[in-house]
Parts: sequence; structure tokens; C-alpha cells
Amino acid sequence: MKPKFSQFLLNTPMHLFIILIAIIWVFPTVGLLITSFRPSSAVASSGWWTVLMHPFNFSQYTLANYYEVITKIGLGRTFLNTLIITLPACILPIIIASFAAYAFAWMEFWGRRFFFILFVGLLVVPLQMTLIPILRIFNKLGLSGSFFGIWLAHAGYGLPLVIYLMYNYISGLPSEIFESSTIDGATPFQIFKSIVIPLSVPAIASIAIFQFIWVWNDLLVALVYLGGTPNVAPLTVRISALVGSYGQNWELLTAAAFVSMVLPLIIFLSLQRYFVRGILAGSVKG
Amino acid sequence: MKKFNFIVIAVCILLLFGVTNAFGQSVTVMAVWTGAEADAFLKMVEPFEKETGIKVEFTGTRDLPAILTTRVEAGNPPDVSVMPNPGQMQEFARDGKLIDLSTFMNMDALKSDYSDAWLELGSYQGKIYSIFISADLKSLVWYNPKAFAAAGYTIPTTWDELMTLSDKMIADGHTPWAIGLESGAASGWPGTDWIEDIMLRIAPPETYDAWVEHKIAWTNEVVKEAFEIFGGIARSDKYVYGGPNAVLTIPFGDSPDALFTEPPKAYMHRQATFIKSFIEEHFPNLVAGKDFDFFPFPPIKKEFGNPALGAADMLSMFNDTPEARAFMKYIASAPAQEIWVGELGKLAPNQKVNPSVYPDDITRKAAQFLGEASVFRFDGSDLMPAAVGSGSFWTGIMDYVSGESLQNVLLQIETSALDAYRQ
Repeated sequence: MKPKFSQFLLNTPMHLFIILIAIIWVFPTVGLLITSFRPSSAVASSGWWTVLMHPFNFSQYTLANYYEVITKIGLGRTFLNTLIITLPACILPIIIASFAAYAFAWMEFWGRRFFFILFVGLLVVPLQMTLIPILRIFNKLGLSGSFFGIWLAHAGYGLPLVIYLMYNYISGLPSEIFESSTIDGATPFQIFKSIVIPLSVPAIASIAIFQFIWVWNDLLVALVYLGGTPNVAPLTVRISALVGSYGQNWELLTAAAFVSMVLPLIIFLSLQRYFVRGILAGSVKG
Repeated sequence: MKKFNFIVIAVCILLLFGVTNAFGQSVTVMAVWTGAEADAFLKMVEPFEKETGIKVEFTGTRDLPAILTTRVEAGNPPDVSVMPNPGQMQEFARDGKLIDLSTFMNMDALKSDYSDAWLELGSYQGKIYSIFISADLKSLVWYNPKAFAAAGYTIPTTWDELMTLSDKMIADGHTPWAIGLESGAASGWPGTDWIEDIMLRIAPPETYDAWVEHKIAWTNEVVKEAFEIFGGIARSDKYVYGGPNAVLTIPFGDSPDALFTEPPKAYMHRQATFIKSFIEEHFPNLVAGKDFDFFPFPPIKKEFGNPALGAADMLSMFNDTPEARAFMKYIASAPAQEIWVGELGKLAPNQKVNPSVYPDDITRKAAQFLGEASVFRFDGSDLMPAAVGSGSFWTGIMDYVSGESLQNVLLQIETSALDAYRQ
């Protein structure tokens, strides 16, 4: 009993510190959440913390913001659009990057190092610089305004980082596996399919979260390549259009933020165990 | 690899969805309008869609200047788009991106519907490229009639009366003005409207034009005087609610709130017609004309009278399609603008618009002020090159209010102007 208790005492300052950090971190989000339930006249006249004086006076809360957001953005079609954009834009780069990372890490070919550096070097090219030239190409190919175009765009923007992260993970796999499978007569594709992919699931899951959240939250790329008409516009485009051009009705954004957060949160929480493992992937090589 | 197969199937299904279709006739329209303005726009185009069967594909984004430039550069502009300001319209026209509207529109009808000033503002080198569909009047001072009556104040009709009234308010222990300059990345713009309104009242319109075109320097005495008159109010602790610190940090949309507290924290607020929607949103119980009202920003030097400063929404055409032509004709017409301004409480540039569509008396009053003003000038900062009009002029206002010396502020704007106007 005793050693456990002293252990607890020893850990207490650490726990207090972590709780403090967590509170500081969560604080703005709590403010956002409370604001999202307040009527617009109250938002304009007093701060969200004023509700904490009578937290159980339910007359000061309203669902009007959520109601307006959900009816205005046309939830069904918009959610579907976002999913149509996000899923392929997430899966496509991961498939390509897994092949590429495996090749860069374990296959011998001419210019391997050069191409790897070239790809990773693309990380520093600002996305905004590419908008006009790529849109020109898309126009020629008839891809602007189509989902196919935006998948390619997102895949392209995501690839350098995804390849880099996958490379770090796959190159850290023990070389003995590859040697013994080669001796057993496995082709590179067989090795990739039955060894590399199953072993890389944690890395793939965490990279999938990164890419998913990036595409989910993207406004600029969608607006430029896809346009903002209701039949193709994703959540971000519709949400940004909720606010008036002089910034009126910004309180709707607080509710919209939570609406758009729901799915990424579910995905994050369900993939969380991989995420923690995967974040270490590539950094610690055993 | 069952999972792998599943993913492939999923991608294929999504591909099917991904093939979007554009059946039938349509016209793509891009605008800065979002929120209530987007709703009003869709309401305006409804009769057009019904009558012609042309579908209006509308994109509203507050990032219009950036998105529009990108799409125009990439050769993929919308059929019709709002111009961020007349300066931008002229640049597009100069580069040959816009369609000359006189090639298909009935110019005689346009001339009878619009005053020459509006047609001229929409033209570049004698060719008309833009149609104005609504205007905002900026030279207004908003006040709370009930608070004025309670304190026994009367509406000033000259600048001297305004300043006497302000001093009287201070003597009574009140604060005369409410000003808020904060507006995110655009912070400072409400101050540029002050300077422009003052400029029009201390100098002839020709001087204003010369200033906008940078034919007189920013360090010119007139500009200096305008800044000093503004600074006399905005930089003072007594004349403005909260002093300069509050002026810098209060969001412009929230600043008129000070007029409607109990007791009022301030008594007057200079802002354009559109601020009405903010007041009504923040205080749903207030009645326009009864609980809040405006008087014209009073003349400063008698000989220059009471000019009207304003801004307006203009649409131009990038692609010459039959659908776009029909759309431009429609929005130039009085019935279209009656829906649009009736929804938003903006003012209609088309003279044939029936004043009864305005939602209330104060909007009608503003429309009358705009119609009768001897001098009308477009918001100067919208006409200047972006580096000045939506750059150093804005930041200059912020620097000046925060206490920077006027000489330095004007020199900084002048430096950026020398660069920007050369191109």
C-alpha cells in the first residue's frame, strides 16, 4: 500500500500539470461550444463566459444556430460532396505513396536517390503557386469543375509528405524479412502485398488521418478547381458562405464548426490507437 | 487482400458520382455575396430562371478577388462576375478579358434607366463593361432619436453645429461618437470612409478626383487637413467612446451597439446604409426610423455643400454566351433590382425602380439623398490601386489612430502610392 501511495504523491505534480495544460487547451473550444448555443443578440452584447454565472438557466441557450446551419447548407448533398472529395483524395495518394515508398526504400534502380529528393523537395513548393498553371491544364483536359480533377489535385498536393512518411516507416522494417522472402522466391510485388502492406497498417492509418483532415478542412483548393455551386460544393465552401460579406452572422460559424467536426472526430477517435503508434513510426527505428 | 478489393470498388462507385453533369443551359455567376445577400441574390434570379429556363450556377465567396484573378488568369472565368471594385474592372477591361456590353444591350434603354454617372463608372475608354445593380450610401451619421430627445439634442445641419453638439454632450458627461475600425485583414477601412467624406467637404470634387488618381500627393495640405479633422475625433479620449484604443479594437459591425445601450455609451455613428442590417440583427426589437435613424454627414465648408459618398455592386461579363447575355439584360432591368434592393435595403441605381420597394422610410430617405446629391463620388479607396486603397491607406488609418505622427503616416502611404500608381 505504502509504495503505491508515495508513487501517487510523486506523480501528483505531473498530473496537475497535465490537467492544467488540458484545461488551457480546451478553453477556447469550450467558449466556441457555448457560443454556438447562444442567440445572436446575446452573442453581440455579452461574452460567452457570462452564461457560467447561471449555467443551468436553460432559457439562455438555443438550438437556432444549429437549425439554421443545417437547413442552409443543405446538409445531405454537402456532406456527400465532401465525402466524394475526401475519400478518394485520401486513398489515392496513400496507394501511390505506398508503392513509391517501398520502391524508394527497398528496390534498386537508377536515380533512386535523385527522384526521392526531388519528390520530398516538392514539400517546400507553396500550393498557391501551382493554382494557375494547374487550372490551365485542367481546363485543357476538361477536368476543372469535376470531382476527378480535385482528386488528382489533392493527391498531388499530398504525395510529397505522404511518400516521405511512408518511406520513413517502410525503410525501418528489418531487412531480414526482405532477404528471406527473396530467397523463398517472392517477387517484389508479392513482398509488397503480403509483407509490407500488412506491416505498415499503423503508419497508413495515421497518415490517412493527416490526409483526411487536410482534405476535409480544405477551402481554397475546392473553391479554385471545383467552384462553389451547390451540386459540387463541399462543407467548407458552404460554411464560409454562411457569413455575410461584411462579417454578419458570424455566430453561425460556431455551430457550423461543430457540425463539420463530427465526422473527423469520429474517424480520429476510432483510429486513435493507430495514430499514437503511427506517430512514432519512422522516428524510432529499432 | 479483401480490403484492397473493397477500396477499389469504393473508388469506382465514387467515380460514378464524380462524373458531374451540366445538363441544359446555364450561366455561372460569381460574387462576394454570402449569407443574407446570397439568399437575396437567389431570390432575384428565381423569376429569370423560371421565365427563360436558364439555370444560374451561383458561387458566393468572400475571397472573390483572389479566386477571380486565379480563374481569369487560368482561362476559366465565370460567365458573369461581380467586380470587387471599379479599379479591378478597369484592369480586366484593359487586358481584354471583359465583354463590351454595348454589343448586345439596348443602349437607349440603358441611358434612360441609368444616370450618366453610373454608366460612366461602369465604362472603360468609352466602352461599357459593367452594370450596377445596387448602391450603398456612406455619408450618413446614425443616431438614436429617443436618446437625442431625452437629452434635448437637435440634429446638426453644419459641421460647426455638429462640433458644438459634440462639446455639449461632453459637458453633459456623455460621449458623442462611436467608432470601430477593426475588420480582420481589412481593418481600417471605416476610417478611409471618414477621410473621403471629409475630403469631399473641404475641397472641390476635382481635388478629390485628383487625390484618388494620385495627381496630388498624400502629403498635400488638403489630405493633411482631412486626416486632422478625423484625428480630432478618433484620437481623442473625450470625443469617442473608449478612446483611440477602443476605436482600434472594436469590430466595425459592433461599434454602433454603443448607441443603443441604457444609458447610451455614445450618441452618433458615421457609417454606410448597410450598417442598418447589423443594428437590426443585434437589436431585433429596434424599429428603423423610430429607434434608430440617420442624418446626412453635415457640410464642413459651405461652398462644397453636401456631397454623397457611396459604393456600389457591379457585374461584368467574361464569356459571351446567349445565356450570359440574357442574364445581364435581366439584372439591368428595374424588376430584378426591385427584388434585390427590396430584400437588402440597398439603393437601386436603376432610376425606374419603384421607391415603394424599399423596406422602410429611412432607406427611402437615403435613396432620396443619393438621388438629389449635387455631387456623387465613388468610395475613393475602392478606386485606388489595391496596394494603396486596400493596403497602405487602411494600415495608415490604424497607425494614425494609434498615435503615429501624421507626417510619418502620410509619407508611408505616399511611398507605397508612388510605387503602385507607376504600373
